[in-house]
Amino acid sequence: MTVEAATAVPSDASHEAGDNYLTHERGLKSWLITLDHKRIGILYLASVLLAFLLGGVFAILVRTELMFKGQTLMEADTYNQMFTLHGAIMVFLFIIPSIPAALGNFILPIQLGAKDVAFPRLNLASFYIYMLGTVCLVVAIVVGEVNTGWTLYAPYSIGRNVTGAGSSVLWVTLGVFIAGFSSILTGVNFMATVHKMRAPGMHWKRLPLFIWGLYATAVIQVLATPVLAITLVLLFMEHTLSIGIFDPQLGGDPVLFQHFFWFYSHPAVYIMILPGMAVVNELIATFSHRKIFGYMFIAMSSITLALLSFLVWGHHMFASGMSEYATMVFSALTFLVAIPSGVKVFNWLATLYQGSISFASPMLYALGFIALFTIGGLTGLFLGTISTDIHLHDTYFVVAHFHYVMVGGTVFGFLGGLHYWWPKMVGKMYDEKLAKISWFLVFLGFNVTFFSQFIMGSQGMPRRYYDYLDQFQPLHMTSSGGAYILAVGFLIMAYMFYKSLRSGEKAPPNPWASAGYEWMTTSPPHPHNFEETPVITRGPYDYHLCTEEELWDGFPEDFPGEKAKA
Amino acid sequence: MNPEPTIQMPAQWSTIAPEVDYMYYFIYWVSVVFTIGIFGSMGWFMWKYRRRPGVKAKPTGHNFGLEIFWTFTPLLLLAYLFHAGFQGYLHGTVVPDDHVEIRVRGMQWNWEFEHPGGVIDTYNELKVPVNKPVQLIMSSNDVLHSFYVPLFRVKRDVVPGMYTSLWFEATHTTGEVTGCTQDAQCGEGQSCYYGNCIAQCQQDSDCWEAIGEGSWCGGQVGDETRICALPVFCAEYCGAGSGITRSAFDDPDGSGRNTNHSTMMADLRIISQEGYDRFLEVGPPPPAECATTDATCEGEECKACWGQSLYQSSGCSACHSSDGSPGPAPTWQGLWENQRTFMNGAEPAVADRNYIRESILNPQARIVEGFGNVAMPAYRLSDNQIDAIIAYIQTLSE
Ligand code: HEC
Ligand SMILES: [Cu+2]
Ligand SMILES: [Cu+2]
Repeated sequence: MTVEAATAVPSDASHEAGDNYLTHERGLKSWLITLDHKRIGILYLASVLLAFLLGGVFAILVRTELMFKGQTLMEADTYNQMFTLHGAIMVFLFIIPSIPAALGNFILPIQLGAKDVAFPRLNLASFYIYMLGTVCLVVAIVVGEVNTGWTLYAPYSIGRNVTGAGSSVLWVTLGVFIAGFSSILTGVNFMATVHKMRAPGMHWKRLPLFIWGLYATAVIQVLATPVLAITLVLLFMEHTLSIGIFDPQLGGDPVLFQHFFWFYSHPAVYIMILPGMAVVNELIATFSHRKIFGYMFIAMSSITLALLSFLVWGHHMFASGMSEYATMVFSALTFLVAIPSGVKVFNWLATLYQGSISFASPMLYALGFIALFTIGGLTGLFLGTISTDIHLHDTYFVVAHFHYVMVGGTVFGFLGGLHYWWPKMVGKMYDEKLAKISWFLVFLGFNVTFFSQFIMGSQGMPRRYYDYLDQFQPLHMTSSGGAYILAVGFLIMAYMFYKSLRSGEKAPPNPWASAGYEWMTTSPPHPHNFEETPVITRGPYDYHLCTEEELWDGFPEDFPGEKAKA
Repeated sequence: MNPEPTIQMPAQWSTIAPEVDYMYYFIYWVSVVFTIGIFGSMGWFMWKYRRRPGVKAKPTGHNFGLEIFWTFTPLLLLAYLFHAGFQGYLHGTVVPDDHVEIRVRGMQWNWEFEHPGGVIDTYNELKVPVNKPVQLIMSSNDVLHSFYVPLFRVKRDVVPGMYTSLWFEATHTTGEVTGCTQDAQCGEGQSCYYGNCIAQCQQDSDCWEAIGEGSWCGGQVGDETRICALPVFCAEYCGAGSGITRSAFDDPDGSGRNTNHSTMMADLRIISQEGYDRFLEVGPPPPAECATTDATCEGEECKACWGQSLYQSSGCSACHSSDGSPGPAPTWQGLWENQRTFMNGAEPAVADRNYIRESILNPQARIVEGFGNVAMPAYRLSDNQIDAIIAYIQTLSE
């Protein structure tokens, strides 16, 4: 972006006019039927945060129940419903839409220098479809008293036995599919936007890596989610026509259900982690003031991960009764996933090298991501290796592993992105000290909660257990204690954001002194993102090509943030 | 071989455990090296290149060679991991020829073990000979289960509609089966438990260390003594029934055992070949606390006691109450010689011996009025065991 383009957005002028996307129109209705990608992003943000809160409450209930042996709070079947709700809400309603739909919707068009996404109406439709899916899923679980775990394994989930979910599994799958359909639409929309709406001068090699990540995610969403629809149709046919597909009592094959489930849900893991990595790219570059090392390798590793993610679903089924050949092939393919993941970590480290590293709160999340993702990734090696997986499968080791990847990875990426783009979204700064305190508690609490679970798991504690042997008491206690620390961290963070909304200092256009394109517009942005379409003349991480004014423009002299240190 | 438990791994009780642990620790150390490398360089860069006034970041260069290096060298390591892991897995799938074959049936929430010659042990009791390969051929009556013995490092899903199998060779015994009734009939350091002479561990002994802390021993009696049976877990989620919520581990009488997924356990006892042969001969013995003079249960008192024990160990208590409280199945209180009415058009009948026998072996034949929602699984119990249960039901109507 040229210096002229950047200064063509005179911050004072537009601020005086008060015309930004938040004040442009007012009233509830203007939000509910908005076509502005920024407002839709905020709507998504509010919903996923609500889902996160709900899922978190269930998590705390589960951990409290497990704190002591025997019954602590609830009975076994209530407990089983709690972890089902926790898993389903967190995975389908929070993590999957968190970064692409909430942050991506807001940031992607701005980063592209576009006015909006390619299909604004479709964008609004996908939000309502997501809401429909949410309602369907939650109502199905609560009304149907579904206690199958989020994996919905047949035949337990399809009833016809002592206990089970019966037809509610149809509704749960329908809810997941509807929510997934909304992400297909978002994905298609993003792909079209990236292809068609880039600002002049933004060729593919100048695309921010956040966009590369979202693009790869969109590809997976579009290709994987239809499998859910197929599963749904099969479940429906089995249920209504009694054709044996998954139910052994009708001659069906329950292992087939696992194939279908993981054929969607393994790629879904990458729908979750790729956007997290994408955010981390932005954070590392901004807070090291350095172009990302190996830009093309990082971009291509996202695409590679997206493609590989379709080939490894069988690694969830080494103990399920799959043939030895299938087991061998899936194990081999699974190891390949380590390569692009490693490439990313190494390139991030190389970016830090010789950088100018600031430890602002978003960067703390990025560094936390690297640390936790490294542990999550390395423990994946134990699970990809067949002989050790047989011992560790379905134990707390797996639970710890995927929480390190999903929470340590995606959620840390999401929180980092939320802190990072918060000033742009709401036009206000937050209390950095509180942000750092809450980061510390979340990081500490997370590790206490889940590291103890690795040890529990390798000692043989199976997952989804309401009760346990004596010897696991100390570790369960530790894990629950960690969960409370985590909760306190999140409460402080919620208070911190609330305080920012109430009385936060006014944010400058570029509070982090970033070279990224989205920081070239006012905070909060103009309804059309930029007053004039920007012309891009450099890459989003070309700090060496940025002038001082470009980086620090609009910075109040007394702003306690980055400028003082520069 | 190192049977001692470590912080990460429970004790090794099977021939394949050392192999699995070797792999585990190999990956562990690889991970430690990578973690130190990554965290170390990250910490160092964070310190060395922290933002300071007047110091700017160096522009990023290109280093194609470096990229290629860290893209392709890890492949070598991964190839090794894959190879070694697969070899270990194959070893665990190919059964040696001279093995004992035991059939396993999983059902919500019990394990049934059928030994050669059709001997069905007491539910949730698995006896295997030491130093002998044992193959389990497994099937499920209802939903998915998974047979898991952490100390053996074996696990395999138990799938309805198909057979799965696994094998192991145990390397240590947990005690002898003799049909004993008193501790005095057993050797030194052993106690009589469920008719078996079981190695007993005193606190502060070596054996306590080996099987105790950091490892486990099911069937713990008291704080100072442990009776050694290895727990078999069900690792694949198989649910809980409404209202069936007792804890296995807090009830002193163990009546919460086998009432939901988390308590779907079996006691695994590893015994000498002679003990195993004897077990195949005489079948499952009555529990030691019931048998008065010898291992065969004469007299109503012993039978009722055995019946009560079976009521809990076979999982009947998951559905049937013995005190009249409502549940998914009719209570046993007052059942004996009571008039029963049925749903599937059968004539009303009196609950006598034949009726109870049929209710256990073929529960779907006549469904009691009002209890059509939950299907009782068919149980395969010996005549002696059925007699014992009838004796117990009789006592509940007195
Ligand atoms: C999964 C729950 C369940 C378990 C476990 C279970 N039952 Fe039942 N049982 C039922 C139900 C439901 C009925 C009533 C329907 C019927 O007659 O089949 C029943 C009926 C009976 C009856 C007839 C009772 C009457 O009121 O007429 C007997 C006897 C019986 N069971 C014995 C046993 C024994 C012995 C065991 C353990 C070895 C056992 N049951 C385990 C569910 C169970
Ligand atoms: Cu996977
Ligand atoms: Cu089970």
